[in-house]
Amino acid sequence: MMWKEMYRIGVDKVDAQHQELFQRVEDFLLAIKGAGPWEEKLVKVKDTMAFMQDYVVEHFRDEEEYQRAIGYPGYDRHCRTHEEFKAEVNKCAEKFAANGYTEDLAQEFAGKLMTWLIYHVAMDDQKIGQYVRQGGQQA
Amino acid sequence: MRAEYLNPFLAATQDVFKQMLGMGIEKKKIELRENFVEGQDANVLISVMGALQGAVVYCFPQSTALAIVKSMAGMEFTEIDTLVASALGEIGNIISGNALSRLEAASYRCDIAPPQIIIGGNKSISMAAAKYIHVPVATQVGDMAINLMLREKN
Repeated sequence: MMWKEMYRIGVDKVDAQHQELFQRVEDFLLAIKGAGPWEEKLVKVKDTMAFMQDYVVEHFRDEEEYQRAIGYPGYDRHCRTHEEFKAEVNKCAEKFAANGYTEDLAQEFAGKLMTWLIYHVAMDDQKIGQYVRQGGQQA
Repeated sequence: MRAEYLNPFLAATQDVFKQMLGMGIEKKKIELRENFVEGQDANVLISVMGALQGAVVYCFPQSTALAIVKSMAGMEFTEIDTLVASALGEIGNIISGNALSRLEAASYRCDIAPPQIIIGGNKSISMAAAKYIHVPVATQVGDMAINLMLREKN
């Protein structure tokens, strides 16, 4: 499975949303890698793209709200990385729109999405957990 | 090419492997090499511009490349396909971005270009410079190498 316990930051709501994101990306990878004609996988590709564009926005908004509530000092920088993540997802969406949903583009998107998600959770968000554990303000 | 430029890349590689993959790495003997970088099965080239100019190339044999992506995805991969190549490109991008933050803290403000992924062993990669630093790195899932060529902007 894609989720690792070491990715947990210790804030229940955020961890639950992260696990949901990981599950979605894992299902997406399995669908792309699985046997069967590309036309059948296309449904999952489009579905994941739409989910990422909606849910990621929602998750980032919740996370930013939480950061404000605890007075997280890295808030501004963290918001910028959220904007970058959203911009990258949108860039991929534009590529799909311009070139069609090809298998190659879907694989490229899947590889990037998986790596960005792990980076976001394992490196950036861990700093929020550290701040809370080191006695930062409580929400 | 000064050795002090290398440490941010090594520290960033160590951080990324530890935090994203839960793996330690160990650098082996550093060599100063000339001419072309000998490519391995998967290579990620990232150009650096700004106060320092040049490039970094991360080279992975197939077994290491597949094991890294397996660790991230939690599923097996049997070949370096577009998904694996794309994931490796982003890993290189993240390591380099992280290294750049460290260089900026040392007053070298630089930028990076999107990763170029070169697949297929035995390819020579031009570093556009006479000499570069080659660092073999042992990870928990196999060997890889970092090749770095940076010089101060004139």
